[in-house]
Amino acid sequence: MKTLNAVTTGNTYAGPTCSPGCGNDYTWLRARRPDGPLAPSRPVRYKQAGLSMSAARPRRPKPGRQHGPPQPQTHAATTPAVSWRPLWIPAALALLLLALSFVPRVAGNPVLVGSFWAASAGLLAWLAVLVVSTRRHAKGRALEVVLRPQHYLQATVQVAVFVYWGYFWRPVYDHAWLLVAQLLFAYAFDMLLAWSRREHYTLGFGPFPIIFSTNLFLWFRDDWFYLQFLMVAAGFLGKELVRWQRDGRATHIFNPSAFSLGLFSLMLIATGTTDLTWGQDIASTLTLAPRIYLFLFLIGLVVMYFFSITLVAGSAAIVLFGSSALYSAVTGVPYFIDSEIPSAVFLGLHLLVTDPSTSPRTPIGKALFGMLYGLGVFVLYALLGVLGLPTFYDKLLCVPLLNLSAQWIDRVAASLGGTGAIGDRARWGGTWSPARANLVHITVWVLFFGAMTALGATDSRHRGDTVPFWEQACAEDRPLACQRLIQIETNYCGDNAGWACNELGRHYTTGGIVAPAIDEALAYFGQACELRFQAGCVNLLGGGTRSADPRALDLRLLLREAGPNLLEMPEPALYARACDHGWTFAC
Amino acid sequence: MLTTAPSSASAPPAPVLGLSVLALLVVGVAGWLWAERPDPDPDPDPDRTGVTTEAPGAVPAELAGFRSDAWFLPDDARLGFVEVPAGPFVMGNDPGTDAMAFANERWSAAQAQGLVDLPAFYIGRYEVTVAQFDAFARDTGFTADLQARQAPPDHPVSSVSWPDALAYCRWLDRVLRQSSESPPELRRLLEAGWRVTLPTEAQWEKAARSADGRVYPWGGTPRRDRANYSGPGTAPVGSAPCPECPFGLSDMSGNVWEWTRSPYQPYPFTAADDLDRLGDDALWVMRGGSFTDSERNVRTAVRGGADPGARRPFIGFRVVIAPRN
Repeated sequence: MKTLNAVTTGNTYAGPTCSPGCGNDYTWLRARRPDGPLAPSRPVRYKQAGLSMSAARPRRPKPGRQHGPPQPQTHAATTPAVSWRPLWIPAALALLLLALSFVPRVAGNPVLVGSFWAASAGLLAWLAVLVVSTRRHAKGRALEVVLRPQHYLQATVQVAVFVYWGYFWRPVYDHAWLLVAQLLFAYAFDMLLAWSRREHYTLGFGPFPIIFSTNLFLWFRDDWFYLQFLMVAAGFLGKELVRWQRDGRATHIFNPSAFSLGLFSLMLIATGTTDLTWGQDIASTLTLAPRIYLFLFLIGLVVMYFFSITLVAGSAAIVLFGSSALYSAVTGVPYFIDSEIPSAVFLGLHLLVTDPSTSPRTPIGKALFGMLYGLGVFVLYALLGVLGLPTFYDKLLCVPLLNLSAQWIDRVAASLGGTGAIGDRARWGGTWSPARANLVHITVWVLFFGAMTALGATDSRHRGDTVPFWEQACAEDRPLACQRLIQIETNYCGDNAGWACNELGRHYTTGGIVAPAIDEALAYFGQACELRFQAGCVNLLGGGTRSADPRALDLRLLLREAGPNLLEMPEPALYARACDHGWTFAC
Repeated sequence: MLTTAPSSASAPPAPVLGLSVLALLVVGVAGWLWAERPDPDPDPDPDRTGVTTEAPGAVPAELAGFRSDAWFLPDDARLGFVEVPAGPFVMGNDPGTDAMAFANERWSAAQAQGLVDLPAFYIGRYEVTVAQFDAFARDTGFTADLQARQAPPDHPVSSVSWPDALAYCRWLDRVLRQSSESPPELRRLLEAGWRVTLPTEAQWEKAARSADGRVYPWGGTPRRDRANYSGPGTAPVGSAPCPECPFGLSDMSGNVWEWTRSPYQPYPFTAADDLDRLGDDALWVMRGGSFTDSERNVRTAVRGGADPGARRPFIGFRVVIAPRN
């Protein structure tokens, strides 16, 4: 059971349940309280036609509560009265969405305007059908307001990420109006979907974490933004319709945002249309924010403290870090290019994979779940790279599969529970109170993060950052080093570093580390030339493979290394930094 | 008003419709994304007509004075290529004696002008036209600036960058080598190791002013009836008759600036130093002035420098067939 203040309709359905990261060890633990629901969780219902309201406050789990699988909710619940009044809300939301199309950020792009109008029209048409249907059956609809801490706390944390990241990468702030639009659309869509299937809808902050979580990983460019609305719709449809029986009640299988992200990622990969989205930019610009790992770690602690996600996030991080370290020890080169755990993955393991309603319920199951996520990301990163596909999908593709495996993982965990060291519940805090166990897990996580930081695996400089490192590794024929060199030069060329474009042209001309391709080579030389890198122009003229040292402008891009903005750094400091990063010509 | 929970009779309906909608959404989005995907085959597609036929400057089937069966090159025995014989010519200008000359036209501190000896080469009678560039773009799938092909087909192509111009040269070199439409004389040159490319700064200036060091291609004074300058826009190539101009070339003054293959460097000119500053921000020399310029800028010795990535409505090019360096 998700939460005790959900509207219940018998034992088979409990209304909208959870959204990403709704954090529900806490609510689950409350539900396990032997003497019934906790007082703060009981909705305070106001006698108002069509509406009821409740407020659930976050509370620390109290010592002494028992662990165990959640039981079906059997207590009788009350529901708000039905009326016609709630149907005005989706109408108002659709009209607000329409009004947003006149905001300058939106009005400047005809496709965006069309997307907003189409979304509004779709919602209003759906509402009209719903109104006709409900009038025919002479039934209204009911709305209950339930403010769940797992939603608003999660949303607050996600907003903090947007604010901090956006301060250093302005497209995030430019996206703010589009986030608002998605929220309006999500609320209206969720209401209409719920009221099309039943009388009651639970209004709260649920759509916030779904929208924010989706947008922390993927959003479509303005010219294709109508697909963003469809992605949001897919998430809510998946939450509402793709369900299974779990612990005796129907609940959604997939984390809504992970479902839509996974679905759309597959489609984008299959059609080769990743460029229609900001996905690659999103994945690579988190590190523009200084100390992003520390920031994510600190806000992650808030979520961990209230919602006990530590076992999932921590085990995923440990597996990823361990796998990376092992790979590095064996091959001599880092596994991930710019970090031991890419910052976007670090974000994902805090905010994407940790939704308890779609993950295992037992401590061992959670740990297994996190480990499998870590392994999944690790394997997918290599697989996508080998296939020449964008690697940022690594953190998105495995979550739906893991959601689908949640019950199986719990069963495996249960079978492990009775055998051997793994199953020794004491080792997982099984004999402690949940609150104490959670604090122990957090403590271990803090120590682990501290160790990672001390080893330079978080915000410190990463040796895989530098082009000279990969040039040397490629020359030494280290595994995948030449492929990584091509990859990072491609990234820098895409950032308009003429030097990198010229180097790519040389690689495709000589065929030393990639198959020779004269058309590719000429295209890269042309790009280098248009970026005023003289050697690129000369190579374009004569088919040569001339090289030159990076210019100051190139260094400002090459030395950024997914880190701070160097465009205003004085040249002496720039060259000193270049020297420090292995560019011998700058010393 | 508080009510009790609904009975099982009001349980949610089976999600068949909703799942159908979800499936439809997935199929629809996937189909749409498939339609939006980038062209997986950038190779030449002879049937590809969408880009240019709908453009304002769409190329007609026939164009007077040009051969539609030979990439809209001029309709003469050598497809518009004119020989410039080997020999010396006077390059540069003296700001001390010519009030219109710019400082960068002076040969050196000690010498106002230089004598440059060049081997023979062939140069296009006209600037490359919209129709010719369109033939290239159709044949290769080349994505050009939208402005590049907006003008009528017999106007000079403009809004092309320096790499765009070189891409055209490489293509023309290939088709001239391969096609049966190529004049035997040109094919012989190409088989002998010559190639189609942009003129060097020196080749351009020699073609424009001949061996007698003219200020303008037609003589010493500006004439509006001989070139398109100080005007509102481009004109059809060759539309300003210039019987006095060397080698029968047109538009060496005005119409559009013309890219050369020379990096912008101080005089004295020598092709040997073209590779000296590979790490610098490159500017490339353009010559001849354009319709936007005054009489001062359309002199044969004027040297302009432009960012190789610049695509401007007053910059185009013409090509040469010359020995490899």
